[in-house]
Amino acid sequence: MQTPDFKGTHLWDRLCWAKENLEAYQSDYRVVYEDSIDECAKILVPDPNWMACALQGGILPPVWVYHELAKDEAQPDFKKHTRGYLLHETEPVGAMTEEEAIEYLIMKDCPQSVWQDWDSGNRPKMVICRKEQLPQTREWRNAWRISSEIAA
Amino acid sequence: MAGKIIADTIETGAGADISTSYVVNGSAKAWVNFNGTGTIAARDSLNVASLTDNSTGDYKVNYSNSFSNDDYSATVSANSSSGLIGTLESEATMLTGSTEVNTYGGSISKSDHAVVCLQTLGDLA
Repeated sequence: MQTPDFKGTHLWDRLCWAKENLEAYQSDYRVVYEDSIDECAKILVPDPNWMACALQGGILPPVWVYHELAKDEAQPDFKKHTRGYLLHETEPVGAMTEEEAIEYLIMKDCPQSVWQDWDSGNRPKMVICRKEQLPQTREWRNAWRISSEIAA
Repeated sequence: MAGKIIADTIETGAGADISTSYVVNGSAKAWVNFNGTGTIAARDSLNVASLTDNSTGDYKVNYSNSFSNDDYSATVSANSSSGLIGTLESEATMLTGSTEVNTYGGSISKSDHAVVCLQTLGDLA
């Protein structure tokens, strides 16, 4: 199905179109990351409807838009977004492969401190894996860590 | 057939008018139903980009279209036969682009549940 020309269309309306017209895609990829030495590993899970948008193309804004909004929100006097138009008026990105979509999602939803220097320490702070590679039960979930034996 | 309806008001069968802004403002702008056990995964959703499994009974829902501010209204629910409560984690973890939610079992300890739902109402960015 061809994506309509969504330039200038509110992102919400684009997501509603996708929900109605695209088949959800359940990715097997998971992103395991550690952003605090005091906390267990976290796992980023892509949403199936979002994946459908990413694979389709022409719906999602470029990831830098989210970074700009995050910068605004980090200001001490932040009350509300005044640059929401970036989400709606910036040219949507084209179709991504599943792997490119995961990279986009990492830059959108993982802390920058993780993905900017994920392999700079003694062991990686982030690993992309398949869901079958994760523990199949949640026993000791609060103690999960990325194995130091995993090569970057 | 594609089409567009532009209306400021909707009339009920009883002849009462309501503004369409009631419908727009009263609709959930994001929702998700996900499995919080095993390798967590969304069953269905709207305006959700990803989920983060933080730890036992502790999840983050990341939105595609951020909210305008962090004063939106969100409701968490989950399945249980033992007095479970689903809660928003804290004011600090209600951000325009994500919301952290916690689920509890019959005790004060967080626990994982097979059905966790979040509905969020508010103004979009």
